[in-house]
Amino acid sequence: MEVNEVKELAKMLMFELTDKEANEIIEEFKTFDKQLALLDKIDTEGVEEMVYPFDVETAYLRDDVPDHVLSQDEVLANAAKTKQGHIVVPKVVK
Amino acid sequence: MNIDELMVLDIKDRANEAYKKIHEVNDKLNAVITFIDDDGKRKEGKLAGIPVALKDNISTKGIRTTAASDILDNYIPVYDAAIVTKLKEAGAKFVAKASMDELAMGGTNRTANIGPCLNPYDDTRITGGSSGGSAALVAAGIVPLAIGSDTGDSVRKPAAYCGIVGVKPSYGRISRYGIIPYASSLDHVGYFTTNVKDAALALEVLAGRDDKDMTSSFAPVENYSEILNSDVKDKKILVFGNVYDALNDEVIKDRFDKVVEGLKERGATIKVVHFDDDLMKCLFPTYFIIANAEATANHSNLDGVRFGHRVDGTSMEEIMTNTRTRGFSSFIKKRFVIGSYSLFEENQERLLKKAQRVRRLIVEEVLKELKEADGLLAPAAGTIAPKLDNTSTDELSDEYLIGENHMVIGNFAGLPSITLPMGYKDEMPIGINLTCNAFKEADMFDIAQAIENITGCKDMIKEVA
Repeated sequence: MEVNEVKELAKMLMFELTDKEANEIIEEFKTFDKQLALLDKIDTEGVEEMVYPFDVETAYLRDDVPDHVLSQDEVLANAAKTKQGHIVVPKVVK
Repeated sequence: MNIDELMVLDIKDRANEAYKKIHEVNDKLNAVITFIDDDGKRKEGKLAGIPVALKDNISTKGIRTTAASDILDNYIPVYDAAIVTKLKEAGAKFVAKASMDELAMGGTNRTANIGPCLNPYDDTRITGGSSGGSAALVAAGIVPLAIGSDTGDSVRKPAAYCGIVGVKPSYGRISRYGIIPYASSLDHVGYFTTNVKDAALALEVLAGRDDKDMTSSFAPVENYSEILNSDVKDKKILVFGNVYDALNDEVIKDRFDKVVEGLKERGATIKVVHFDDDLMKCLFPTYFIIANAEATANHSNLDGVRFGHRVDGTSMEEIMTNTRTRGFSSFIKKRFVIGSYSLFEENQERLLKKAQRVRRLIVEEVLKELKEADGLLAPAAGTIAPKLDNTSTDELSDEYLIGENHMVIGNFAGLPSITLPMGYKDEMPIGINLTCNAFKEADMFDIAQAIENITGCKDMIKEVA
């Protein structure tokens, strides 16, 4: 992987990398690749992906009644800029 | 003092020492991100007046919660995590928001934005992470209970390095509502105490169904501290042979052998098991891929727009990019890049889906044996707490891939798991880990108390002030 490719990846994640950071990632990928070779050795043909630990039903549809509601002030309390009940950001449509 | 000893004092006096000493101790350990002052109020309950520390990824209404990251440096939650409500109802008194690896994505506590947390036994060594601040405050005797979170071994490894008890119960046993997430399919709330009985009591307070967490279990919460029984006569305990073979430290292996011998003498049946070695070598890469991929997705909401430390720009995109560039450390950015790489459509088969399939095979391999037994036992770590500047780990060795990463099985399978001290090496504590079947926390505490009786390692405190 090249520095430019790593920086492109970072851009998609909405942050920038210095050359030093990008080079460190390339170095880490070398070890990571060797660890991936260990995974490649495992036959996973026909195995279903495990995306949570248990097959236990814990979720259900609750009645459509408002619960643990935050006030407008609370929702806006941590925003950097607010005005008249809205979060202020630069103009989106120019 | 442990919880029992504090309970003997008048309710109004139980947290006094903690509030007083924590500043002095923190000058030496760098374990606290935010101090919480005593409001003078006291309330009856199972933890009446007991001082408690919270990892700084646990939402506390009106109290800054940063997850040790610059991006959340000014974040003040407007609601309490479910466990914060439960602890308050039980009468606990919060003394601090404790240090942690940034966004809980580390195992050393060196990546906190306030700098590394130092081990109470030796300030040139790490506490382990990511719940290192919580571990240090318990080990230094400031609080008898501190809450952490555990995605790979983030409670159980620091417990080993700091000579205390670290518990990660079953997936869904404790509500995660209000915990800043890392990897949702692996995240658990965990905690530290200085002995097994306190650990059993703490779970009575923390566990239980919570409708606000869809992964929270309906399984009834037992009176773990009352039914605690260290009799192991009918217990079948597995020794994790792959881990034992992968380790090189003879002192740790010798202490471990003595515990196994002690369990045998008490009537437990011991069986050494060796799981498929190729699968065990995949523990770390499987974890690394899944955890980073889930973290990348979970943390896409850290953009400085609705909350967190915003860095200005001329467009939304520029605000988000500037905020995230300045807000995350290099370490976190690197993890996100690796996580995102696994999520790309063209890489998903080879990376994320492959890891998720191997996860299932690992879990099936372990449960095949564990389901017929009561617990799986192994040294918690291959060494004493490493030095702060240690960079010599061979990340392709069996010692690292298996010996240092085996506890992630508890996260893969959602199994209850506990680390407790088993002695010392070079005046540093060493730990043993026990993993049991899902929702068999009572069995876990019983076997753990037998181990505590064998080692005599109970209420180990290292005063630093």
